[in-house]
Amino acid sequence: MEKRNQRAPATRARRPSIIGGYKRVPGIPDEMLDTAGHVRPHWSQLLAGFDELGPKELSARFERADQYLRDAGVFYRKYDGAEGKERAWPLAHVPLIIAENEWQQISEGLTQRADLLEAIVADIYGANTLVERGLLPPELIARNGEFLRPMVGIKPASGHFLHFCAFELGRGPDGKWWVLGDRTQAPSGAGFALENRVATTRALSEIYGRMHVHRLAGFFRDFRDALFADGGRSYGRVGILTPGQHNETYFEHAYIARYLGFMLLEGEDLVVQNERVMVRTVEGLKPVDVLWRRMDAAFVDPLELRYDSRIGTPGMTEALRRGTISMVNALGSGILETRALSAFLPALSKAVTGAPLKLPSIATWWCGQAAERRHVIENIEAMMVGSAFATTLAVDDDQTTLLGATLAAADRDRLVARLRENGADFVGQEPVRLSTAPVHVNNRLEPRPVSLRVYAARTREGWTIMPGGFARVGSSLDTTAIAMQRGGQAADVWVLSAEPVEKVTLLPQAGEALMRNRGGSLPSRAADNLLWLGRYAERCEATIRILRAYNARLAEASRPDLPLLADTRDYLEDLGVDATEALPAGLLGAIDSAVRSAGQVRDRFSPDGWLALADLSKTARRFSNKVTAGDDATRSLTVLLRKLGGFSGLVHENMYRFAGWRFLEIGRRLERGMQLCGITARLTGPDAPDGALDMLLEIADSVMTHRRRYAVSAGRLSYIDLLVLDPLNPRSVLFQINDLREQIEKLPGGVLDGQLSTAARAVLQLQTELTIADPDDITPDRLIALQDEIGRLAGLVASAYFV
Amino acid sequence: MAMLYDVRLELHYEYEAMVHNDRHHVRVAPLSLPGTQRVIASALSFDPRPERETSFVDFFGNQVTSIAYGDYHDHLDVRLTARVQVEEPEAAADLSPDPAALEGEIAALWSLDAASPHHFLGPSPRVALDPAITAYARSTLERAGSVAAGALALCLSIHRDFTYDPKATKVDTRPAEAFALRRGVCQDFAHVMIAGLRGLGIPAGYVSGFLRTIAPEGKPRLEGADAMHAWVRVWCGQHMGWREFDPTNAMPAGSDHIVIGYGRDYGDISPIVGVLKTSGAHKAKQSVDVIRVE
Repeated sequence: MEKRNQRAPATRARRPSIIGGYKRVPGIPDEMLDTAGHVRPHWSQLLAGFDELGPKELSARFERADQYLRDAGVFYRKYDGAEGKERAWPLAHVPLIIAENEWQQISEGLTQRADLLEAIVADIYGANTLVERGLLPPELIARNGEFLRPMVGIKPASGHFLHFCAFELGRGPDGKWWVLGDRTQAPSGAGFALENRVATTRALSEIYGRMHVHRLAGFFRDFRDALFADGGRSYGRVGILTPGQHNETYFEHAYIARYLGFMLLEGEDLVVQNERVMVRTVEGLKPVDVLWRRMDAAFVDPLELRYDSRIGTPGMTEALRRGTISMVNALGSGILETRALSAFLPALSKAVTGAPLKLPSIATWWCGQAAERRHVIENIEAMMVGSAFATTLAVDDDQTTLLGATLAAADRDRLVARLRENGADFVGQEPVRLSTAPVHVNNRLEPRPVSLRVYAARTREGWTIMPGGFARVGSSLDTTAIAMQRGGQAADVWVLSAEPVEKVTLLPQAGEALMRNRGGSLPSRAADNLLWLGRYAERCEATIRILRAYNARLAEASRPDLPLLADTRDYLEDLGVDATEALPAGLLGAIDSAVRSAGQVRDRFSPDGWLALADLSKTARRFSNKVTAGDDATRSLTVLLRKLGGFSGLVHENMYRFAGWRFLEIGRRLERGMQLCGITARLTGPDAPDGALDMLLEIADSVMTHRRRYAVSAGRLSYIDLLVLDPLNPRSVLFQINDLREQIEKLPGGVLDGQLSTAARAVLQLQTELTIADPDDITPDRLIALQDEIGRLAGLVASAYFV
Repeated sequence: MAMLYDVRLELHYEYEAMVHNDRHHVRVAPLSLPGTQRVIASALSFDPRPERETSFVDFFGNQVTSIAYGDYHDHLDVRLTARVQVEEPEAAADLSPDPAALEGEIAALWSLDAASPHHFLGPSPRVALDPAITAYARSTLERAGSVAAGALALCLSIHRDFTYDPKATKVDTRPAEAFALRRGVCQDFAHVMIAGLRGLGIPAGYVSGFLRTIAPEGKPRLEGADAMHAWVRVWCGQHMGWREFDPTNAMPAGSDHIVIGYGRDYGDISPIVGVLKTSGAHKAKQSVDVIRVE
């Protein structure tokens, strides 16, 4: 029975025009309208706000939210091929509103549930009394892929197995909230909940400001502080362990790392030394105390868990055994996601907490028990049958979960036969029916099925429940089609208070000491990627400049076999670029490499920089199909050059001057130095073709400077002077070397007690040599040797910092 | 009668490219088993000397030595010497139930300790259940009656139907492949037997160990004696518990068999697991001597 809310008559009279035509689905509760079709009181303010804005403005506002998400680079990865594609975040613009008193009940239910789950997992990996008391069938654990035997007997360093959980809730036909599934392995989506909030409130700022909506930041602040406290109160010792950039929610890993000031780490960043987990950083090995893992447990240690894992850290289990690292959540916690476990929770709750579950699970029968199996078989038409050991939610899993009612008679008979033969592998569940909530379609609101994902975090004071979360909205009225992977949408959740709410921010408050989080040391892998990002970006620029000069001359030339053109083609070929293609595959490859390097360090530079790079890549691909050699290519290359300049400018102007920026800068300077040596050697040789020197100036963007400085005495030596030895020309070799010296000396250990590192000594030697050199000394052979020496310098930096 | 053995094992790995920051788990030392096997002395050594050497007991009760290297090295030698006393198991009457009754006995066992049969039912990482193997096991066990008699029958039929052939399979050959070939080594035979028994709902596990090298006078030398050995253990119900069978040699395991440890399959008790980062290949050599001390 639904509770009748008291409504002021005025509310009833004035039906918001935005809901004209909104029809509830018979027999299914609607979040916005009560059974009588009246607007529930906690929705009235939002709907009034929509009416106030009017349909045109409302659509414009929602477009603004989408624009924000695009600008912020929010994406998830959709798997349809090997690596999957990045997809824009599908925001459903209308928030789901839940009244505070109802939220209070959800919170209490989830707190009880989280405590119960903690007790169960602690028992499974500890004393094992629940099995011995007959409350948990041993088969369900022993045959479970999520039961990680190496974890048995290991007590978590923090004292707890679970620190961060998510729960999927749905409102059943009786109007009550039901738990559809528990996420304890590595719950995703909390970061997306934050981005949903930011995007939604950008669109609806006045309405949001008027309504008393609980803020989310406090939840994250409390959890961050709890993790830092676990890590011995020292900053930089908490990391997020990610499977890497090809994971479907990698954006979120990087986002949360940035938002909370944690290191973003991959298995390869870590090494276990003397049973302690250390991060490989540019300052050597540094200990880490807490890992918030977003990687499935079995992959964490190839030595004791999945031996085929390529993303893990050998020895992690030994560190856990010694209690030197806190894992959030403990390895093995994923066993709580087992679908068949739901069948035992009601009894476990009474046995463990002495009370029934405040929030029930959907009715579940494990077919490993004779009576339950019989019940499922007898009621097969009213059952949803799936794998007992599945850890996916039944609503997400329509591939393998079968609805008895929709099966053909022969298929149903086959299913029953399998249940009889291998009952322990199956569960029967009551088919899920969800409530509906409004989405905005074609300027009006329409009902769609909705489920709710809610997060619980352990703090020093116990569990705290995020006052909000993330509503998943179906793409049609079919309740089985919620999964984001299949075209659903995500909406913000507003928990509405009757009173004004505390406005929380993660920025330090007045009176609070300013804590400067340096984010710990720079992991070597990140430094390596940043250096290569710098190199690839510069390589792209050098290639584009040469290609542009080539195509401009090709457009004017009578014959493509002019010596200068042929020579340039040869030179480019050595760089892996085929100049006979208008936009060569070699150039696209270099752009892809830059994007790939950048993709691995998304937490380390601005979303604007990333978007600029993504835009460059997209534009280049678009051009590559239609551009023709000559003038057309020249114009297109100019566009690419400008876009690349945009990326370099954003990085240069916006990036904090910490070690990461320095590696990027070093990569850029190394590459530019080598490219300059190479092209200068080729175009200043004694047998260089006609026009070579002019082309060199154009490539090095130094035409104006040269004209001004050497108006009288232009000649081969003036070109060498400007492009190799001039310390003021940002496109001279010496300029690169001078900057390299500055950056290399500022790297960790660059100068220690007056002693120079090996790399710093090498760059100093180059600098001295070039500073006192005479243009006469700089022969093409010397330039080639110089190019090699700069390459060796790159090797010295790598071996000192990226081991 | 108790038998006394001196066991000597050498594992030798040579890496084509130098390796560093590597870590290995070694499971080669004989286990003390009250009443059946007593380790009098056991020494394990490594070359080069590991920077870090620790040990722990794994879920199934096996002794694991963990070694770690930071510096570059081009080889790894593992040496074990041990003196072990093994009791000849007493001939016992077959008190095991038939497979149908066994199911009830398993269901009545509400335990997850390391010896619980529940861990040894269903597929494990290296032993998938395979319809062909299950059918083969079913046809053998049908005539046997009790679980213990059935396990022995399966052990004998694998020995009869399979050819011992070290060239036919590799360390990661799946049981289904070895079954199709009807060839392999002790590991393959053990995996096939385990898959067959589990397919019929009979708990079966993997035993890693040594076999005496020099045969008693007048008897043939046993297959696989110059390397580490593997056989199968089968849960034969509440009364008999775990019983061991050696399908490579068509016999119940007895005083010729020295146990290193137990697992669901080879993966749980492989002699050495290591994680190396190397681009090059490596060469491995193994030598084993198990000499009876008179």
